Amino acid sequence: MSMLEIYNKGISYSYQEGESLLDILQDSGEIIESPCGGKGYCGKCKVQIIKGKLEEPTEEELKYLSKKELEKNIRLSCFVYPKGHICVKFLNKEEKNYKALSDGYIPDAELNPIIYKEVIALEKPTLKNNLSYEKVLEKSIGEELYHNNTEILKALANVNNGGKVTLLYYEDELIGVESGDTKKKLYGAAVDIGTTTVVVSLIDLNTGKEIGTETSINPQKEYGLDVLSRIDFVKRKDNGLCLLQEAIVDCINSLLENLCNKNGIDIQNVYEIAVGANATMMHLLLGIETNTIGKSPYATIFSKEKNLWAKSIGLKISPFGRLYCLPGVSSFIGADIVAGAVVANLKDTKDNVFFIDIGTNGEMLLSKGGKLVSCSCAAGPALEGANISCGMRAADGAIEGIQFNEDGVALQVIGDVEPMGICGSGILEAIADLHKKGIIKKSGRLKRKEDLDKEERYILAEHLVEEGKKRKVILYKNGDETISITQEDIRQVQLAKGAISSGFYALLDFMDMGMEDLDSIVIAGQFGRHLKISSLTGVGIIPENLKDKINYIGNSSKTGAMICLLSKGTRKEMEDIAKDIEHFELSTKEGYEKLFTKCLTFN
Amino acid sequence: MSNVKEKLLKDLAESVVDMEEDDTIEIANDFIESGYDAYEGISNGLAAGMDEAGKLYEEEEYYIPELLMCSDAMYAGMDVLKPHLKYDETEEKYKAVVGVVEGDTHDIGKNLFKIMLETTGFEVYDLGRDVPPGEFINKAKELGAKLIGLSTLMTTTMDNMEIVVNLLKEEGMRDDVVVMVGGGPISQSFADKIGADGYAPEASRAARLAKDLVRGKMNVAV
Repeated sequence: MSMLEIYNKGISYSYQEGESLLDILQDSGEIIESPCGGKGYCGKCKVQIIKGKLEEPTEEELKYLSKKELEKNIRLSCFVYPKGHICVKFLNKEEKNYKALSDGYIPDAELNPIIYKEVIALEKPTLKNNLSYEKVLEKSIGEELYHNNTEILKALANVNNGGKVTLLYYEDELIGVESGDTKKKLYGAAVDIGTTTVVVSLIDLNTGKEIGTETSINPQKEYGLDVLSRIDFVKRKDNGLCLLQEAIVDCINSLLENLCNKNGIDIQNVYEIAVGANATMMHLLLGIETNTIGKSPYATIFSKEKNLWAKSIGLKISPFGRLYCLPGVSSFIGADIVAGAVVANLKDTKDNVFFIDIGTNGEMLLSKGGKLVSCSCAAGPALEGANISCGMRAADGAIEGIQFNEDGVALQVIGDVEPMGICGSGILEAIADLHKKGIIKKSGRLKRKEDLDKEERYILAEHLVEEGKKRKVILYKNGDETISITQEDIRQVQLAKGAISSGFYALLDFMDMGMEDLDSIVIAGQFGRHLKISSLTGVGIIPENLKDKINYIGNSSKTGAMICLLSKGTRKEMEDIAKDIEHFELSTKEGYEKLFTKCLTFN
Repeated sequence: MSNVKEKLLKDLAESVVDMEEDDTIEIANDFIESGYDAYEGISNGLAAGMDEAGKLYEEEEYYIPELLMCSDAMYAGMDVLKPHLKYDETEEKYKAVVGVVEGDTHDIGKNLFKIMLETTGFEVYDLGRDVPPGEFINKAKELGAKLIGLSTLMTTTMDNMEIVVNLLKEEGMRDDVVVMVGGGPISQSFADKIGADGYAPEASRAARLAKDLVRGKMNVAV
């Protein structure tokens, strides 16, 4: 056994030689960001080697390391296989002020929660009547009790003799008792588990009001940035499924605890958690294998709604607490999208509405007067700032706005600090503007410096650099550090745009509709909200002539979860709509390659 | 006389690079009507143009749409020239089997590789997408293929590439066949890890590498 020392923490682990440093760190319970899941192509799992001998970096590893980093002995942990005593230092650049989208449009729904309370007076057991507390309770409510766990009995032991007692019902079944009159304390939590972010809202089930919201980065992202890397992680690691489930359950517990503390609410008075999430996130939450989702025919283990005891997966709310997982349709069209369909009212509409949730996967629904068809496209992570040479998430230091003006390049940086990278909305706006200002051609190819010089655009020309045959645009320079957009970055965005807009046209085609038949475009989700309409139409994700019909609906997954808490009727509607959505697989569509390549170019 | 031929060959190549399908057809017809050899038209005209297009792709000048449009022009020219090929002139071509591994249905990368392989002179059998490991082996055995090309876009199906490599070993065919892997999540280190012979990030480079590897293997074998 050899020793691994963590410099920042002053702790050591023993390890078995022969595994990659990344695996060793993860097995030891250390959290290190590895968006690609240790496949060696994201370049994010860097650590500094303080002590210990390693093999020289391979050419492939060198691609991700700058000269400066090499001098400091910084390496990619997925590439190195340590031997003997080794000491490493984490290089955490904390992401500050990352804000997930938690709000959004909320449709009217009747207030009729599935969970409700009733107050009664409980008779006393006496020597004379010789009754159990259970029997006394049954006498009081006039019906026999059926319960499949011991929580009611435990609670009965705490109920005051002969005082007021509050009964907790789920649907019409008694699921809990509380001492005294607690009718006013009735709360639920609406949760959206996104691949990237988690949002939890605390809801007062008596008033229907949202009391507060907390957001966090999905802690599972340390084990893989996108859905496929996480599925692969579960497959590869013995306890992978367990790790990912624990990570998300802990995250929900702690967000909810914070919310309760902030608002002076006892977490024991939270009785139901409703969750909207994509299929993979839902499987991981319940600790269900995800292997089948990750390969054709992309089958889920389950898609229907689930009603469970919250504590069965370790959620720490009331001992009688319930967990409701919203219904999904397939591996691609998860509960998050079904929630969106209900929130956007796609079923009861006479309009033709195109609904899209833009993320690593672009999920879309087209409603032709209430007839629903869906498809999903692999947009890749470029629009979220990953896979982009200087990409980062939307946190302090991220360039979120870029305009190429004739007198120079204007940048807007989150937090008004020194720029560190470009976030997804920034890269999209930049490329829309590069196209608009004629700095890239229709094919997406960057022009040469000489081309712009010929056009007498000397200032902008200075930003274009050609190294070998590879071109890039420099956005920002500070000493040796530069932030730039490379030709390859533009290609990544083209791939994303091609994937999404080919889905858009394919859906219209499937429903035998033209673009002019659309009444509105609804953009849902965390990420879409940050994209400017001019960027979306500028790169051609949405056609220019539909720009006045675009609406943002916000985090409709969380909103859907919230209205499920508040209304029994909506819950039913959600379950019905899930059965009505037709799905078609884009990559197997006749002529898809032609459509896709057409959508890759700029118009 | 040979000047005219050279000019036509150059024009053929250029029309492919310029993605001008109609021009390619017209020039190919001129080429045949002038009595020149169809085989030369294909290898020194069309394929040369496609090779140039592949290089432009590597230099980031061209992207997937351009490469596919070039190949449309090349295939249109092929349709004109092929019927005029004399049998004894078609030298024995190396055979290749390509496909997207089981579990994945994304095939554009594989299609690009196929086009570039044909350009470098392989005869390619395309198994399509979502191909079970055994099918690669069976087809390669049936055709006597010298190359198997495996493609995937998804992290979750990469392991099926290793299964194919291991199956080849079990069948005692590993030494006779070059295995190339490619696709979004694939890297050189992954190729090394599973014991594949080659990987390249772009289809055109991969095709050139494929040819080198197969030639290398043949020389060793002889």
